[in-house]
Amino acid sequence: MKPKTVSKGQAAKNSKPRGATRKRALEIPPEEARELHYYLRLTREVDERLVKLHRQGQIGGNHYPAVGQEATTVVPAFFMEDDDFVGPSHRELGVFITKGRGSPRSMPLVQVFAQVFTKSTSQDEGRNGPSHWGWTPERILEHCSNLGTQIPVAAGAALSFKMRGLPLVAFAFIGEGGASKGDFHEACNFVGIHKLPFVIIIQNNFWAESVHISLQTGNDNLSDRAIGYGYEGIRIDGNDVIQCYQTFKYAIDKARTGGGPTMIQCDTYRWYGHSMVDPANYRTGSEVSYWKELDPVARFERWLVDNGVMTQEEIDQRVKEINEQIFAAIDEAKSAPDPEPETFLDKVYAD
Amino acid sequence: MRKITYIDAIIEAQREEMQRDENVFVLGEDVGLYGGVFKATKGLMDEFGFYRCLDTPISESAIVGIATGAALMGMRPIAEIQFADFIGGAHDQICQQAAKIYYRTGGTWPVPITIRCPYGGDVGGGMYHSQSNEAWYCHVAGLKVVVPSTPYDAKGLLKAAIRDNNPVLYFEHKKLYRTIKEPVPDDDFVVPIGKADVKKPGRHLSIFSFGLMFHRSMQAAMKLREEGIDVEVVDLRTLLPLDMETIVESVKKTGKAMVVHEAPKYGGIGGEIASAIVEECWDYLDGPVVRVAAPDTPVPFHPKMEQLYLPSVERIYQEAKQLFEY
Repeated sequence: MKPKTVSKGQAAKNSKPRGATRKRALEIPPEEARELHYYLRLTREVDERLVKLHRQGQIGGNHYPAVGQEATTVVPAFFMEDDDFVGPSHRELGVFITKGRGSPRSMPLVQVFAQVFTKSTSQDEGRNGPSHWGWTPERILEHCSNLGTQIPVAAGAALSFKMRGLPLVAFAFIGEGGASKGDFHEACNFVGIHKLPFVIIIQNNFWAESVHISLQTGNDNLSDRAIGYGYEGIRIDGNDVIQCYQTFKYAIDKARTGGGPTMIQCDTYRWYGHSMVDPANYRTGSEVSYWKELDPVARFERWLVDNGVMTQEEIDQRVKEINEQIFAAIDEAKSAPDPEPETFLDKVYAD
Repeated sequence: MRKITYIDAIIEAQREEMQRDENVFVLGEDVGLYGGVFKATKGLMDEFGFYRCLDTPISESAIVGIATGAALMGMRPIAEIQFADFIGGAHDQICQQAAKIYYRTGGTWPVPITIRCPYGGDVGGGMYHSQSNEAWYCHVAGLKVVVPSTPYDAKGLLKAAIRDNNPVLYFEHKKLYRTIKEPVPDDDFVVPIGKADVKKPGRHLSIFSFGLMFHRSMQAAMKLREEGIDVEVVDLRTLLPLDMETIVESVKKTGKAMVVHEAPKYGGIGGEIASAIVEECWDYLDGPVVRVAAPDTPVPFHPKMEQLYLPSVERIYQEAKQLFEY
């Protein structure tokens, strides 16, 4: 969020005790807060379920859990239009689940599981691995494992929006590790030249597989790099949904109305290893429990209850319903046929 | 019909496609204000404006990545890599993103980009401005690779590349830019990708080549004709996908095959063509399939070294004569 100067009068108003006659406006309007919570909780429950499915041997290949860093994907996706472009990295399950917010073009929940079960009904029909979700109707590119390569591609989408005068935004996601790639620099530099409608989201979870951020860069304020490219960089608590909401709303509105790019560094944490084959024994238990205390979903739920937006009973009921939805989606995904092996020969070239 | 040079054909193809389709645009280093270091985009910025002939920073990976992203949004970008030698910086973008997007999205998202790569030697450019690196990309499923040798094919193949819904690498030979001229129609035509062209029919021996080496092969063939040796010269025009039908037909007719290219021999496209000929034409062959190529070294700078490095007309002539006499 842009630093705001608070006037004396305003400060006095904000410091009014609870229950004073004039009720303070909520940071997130209640309707939006309830919807945002749904996608945060859904992403958490789906991801935890994917971890279980993998441990049960029901998912071949690998999974890259994003449990603990839901806010940095769900919140930006909450503000995306159907026609906005996203170049995701490997931990953006929340974007796939949230983008479009139930529009006819949004990715049905069953697709999450069709992909990990590599069914013929997944978009890539078994050609790419589990957790390589992609959803062309919502303009979300299927993840490429060569980290950072999605950033120039997103920059190209942003260029086309500017050339056509469309009020659309292109997004690229990257971790603090992937931000060391040359593609990060080449793309982030380019979007600054033309003030393109572009938002780059650096999810800093401090560990690139086993390499700590201190061995990744000499300045852990990655958003400082934006200064060098001539646009705004912001570092936020990526586990604070309110801060994410305000920052992404601001940056996305700015990009959509011709204000140019923003680089947003979200400090967050993955509870599990880099992937399901990584025991993450390079981290200390106290570090993990410190971050679990800062669980973005639980913090937001406390905010919802404290502000009277939802009751704990409503939240519990919602979690129950979400899990029913998830099990129904798993059953539906499983019932689809596997792809015919020889179909891997098709769709190498477009007509 | 008016005669134009190879580079005029390249400019004309881009201009006509940009007039025809507003989604076509050019990007690259020095392509705008300066019209390209080889002037291959001369006049395009004046005619189509700043963004449709866009000068980029020195960022090959971004050039190709941006082209890819714009293509996903419905544009048809032409990305110029100033020298094919510089393409390495864009390797991930070409081979991991552009080449695989259509496949990994289950055929839902085509990537219609053209990557123009000025390549080749005999221009006194040394090891960083002379390479013939077309084979690097012939190993990557999802890409197409074209290598025009004449102004007519340069125009027709570039138009076909721009209209193609796949990433196409268009290798244009720098030595040919201003050294050859031929009649080229000023109306709309395309040369289909994936079709070789028998530029000189013959009975005794087939030479398969492209680019500058195609012209040297033709010169060698003319010399051999004076000695009663009738060489068929096939201009491959596209390396991926290779026109095996034309190649097989030619070898079945002549019984002898030779591939000539200026890239190093080891791992060059000549090896692929030679083994395909052996697989498909074994019963028709009357001699070994011969590769005439550069040695396995970087391209040296000294003019005398470079002349020794590149297959010469004389060398092609001698090798062909030897094969004829086998």
